[in-house]
Amino acid sequence: MSDIPLLVLEELCLRVPQRVLVEGVSIVVRKGRITAVVGASGSGKTLSARAAMGIIDPGLGLVRGSLRYPGVRSGELFSGVEGSGRLGRWRLQRRTRPFRGGYVTYAPQSASSALNPGRTVGRQLQLAIRRRLDRPDDEGREIRRILDEVGLPPGASAALPRELSGGMAQRAALAIAIAPEPQILIADEPETGLDPVLRRVVTELMLEVASHHRVGLMLITHNHDTVERIADEIVSVGEGA
Amino acid sequence: MTERAAGPIVEVRGVYKTFRRAGRWPWSRGAEVRAVRGVSFVVQPGEVVALVGQSGSGKTTLARCVLGLEPITSGAIELEGRAWHDLSEAARRPLRARYQYVPQDALSALDPQQTALEHVVESMIVLGGLARSQAGLEAMEMLDRLGLAHRSGALPREMSGGEQRRVTLARVFALRPRLVVADEPTSGLDPDRQGAVLHDLITNLPDGSGCLLVTHDMPQARRWCHRALVMLEGEVVEAIPLPDGQPSHPYARMLFDPWGQHDLDQSTVS
Repeated sequence: MSDIPLLVLEELCLRVPQRVLVEGVSIVVRKGRITAVVGASGSGKTLSARAAMGIIDPGLGLVRGSLRYPGVRSGELFSGVEGSGRLGRWRLQRRTRPFRGGYVTYAPQSASSALNPGRTVGRQLQLAIRRRLDRPDDEGREIRRILDEVGLPPGASAALPRELSGGMAQRAALAIAIAPEPQILIADEPETGLDPVLRRVVTELMLEVASHHRVGLMLITHNHDTVERIADEIVSVGEGA
Repeated sequence: MTERAAGPIVEVRGVYKTFRRAGRWPWSRGAEVRAVRGVSFVVQPGEVVALVGQSGSGKTTLARCVLGLEPITSGAIELEGRAWHDLSEAARRPLRARYQYVPQDALSALDPQQTALEHVVESMIVLGGLARSQAGLEAMEMLDRLGLAHRSGALPREMSGGEQRRVTLARVFALRPRLVVADEPTSGLDPDRQGAVLHDLITNLPDGSGCLLVTHDMPQARRWCHRALVMLEGEVVEAIPLPDGQPSHPYARMLFDPWGQHDLDQSTVS
């Protein structure tokens, strides 16, 4: 049973008064599958991904479309033009908040700036693990297991984000995103700025997360190589826009 | 400025660079980080040399050392025959226009309150020693060559990532440098624009100048560079002639063909 849809975003339109940012984007994320979202810079990939988590940036004038998380909640989180306006945004954010960080997690594009600069990687992982387990007995072992899974040495647990290289920071951000054992992981260009070898390591890690942990993965990327190798479904954003 | 006899533009001999990372407390000793270990290479006039390798292997540090932006711990760096590592900052300053740096993050290298044209004009006046009227004309010409003439009045935040990179390139080329050190000038751009920016970088290099290009993009390095120096943990482990040379070091093979059959454990040392 690997075709169960976990996230269904349909016909999303995002506009500012002068311009259409995203038009008619539909994304389905299925259990254990990888959905790649591709498109040029500025085509609205990240905006669509944020909308899929229920985050609509305040500057956007008109929002239309529908969002469902069939895995945990029947009915729509938003539909029609409900998501626009201050009240609509607030309602949507409130409805999706319980799912963010647990059911759906996000590994942002710029990993080093996404990590808390004042906390060690281990502490940040600990907080992420506590989203699913309240103070597990073997927290230390759990942290080491997750670090090992993303290919970081156990010593990275004591490091502050500024002490990590770009590739390590990228993997630390991924570790924090998978620690709550989400059903859906949204990874925003996880291989950007990495060298070719690390890019392969991170790509294989994505594949592992999807196939082994049965996580539904939304992978935002503009790397054709990655898409060809691992994506089950491809959504092009911003074509002709 | 006197022209030197035709020798190498860059000659790096046995360069070491060691940092001391701050410890946990002000009085603790902190760890020693050996970023560059005994690197030697030469860049000849007209040559484009790629510096490739793992993240954190010391590529950026080495590139900055070559320009004197970081002091070296030991070894020697000669630029056009001058012992660059030995010169004081005052002695380097009049020569800086000849040796230029293209940074990784274009937006943070640009003044948010200056237009594209003002960036180029200012560097021509301050570093190139030109009069404002002449600088204005030449700067416009340079922007035109890079396809930015219609954006000359734009502020950095109004420009796309590719346009911002082109402004940093226009600013550098307006000085007709002898050496351009470019630190991942295409990172963060989408693949089509990466090719276009590298094309602009290499085809606009003044005749007889050298270029040191830090990059992660092996296909582009093969296309544009004459040689690739592969760095691993601060050392140059192999120099590969491009476009046709084949890597022999296991790590270099992995870099050039990441999806081949390799023992990936060798790659993730740091």
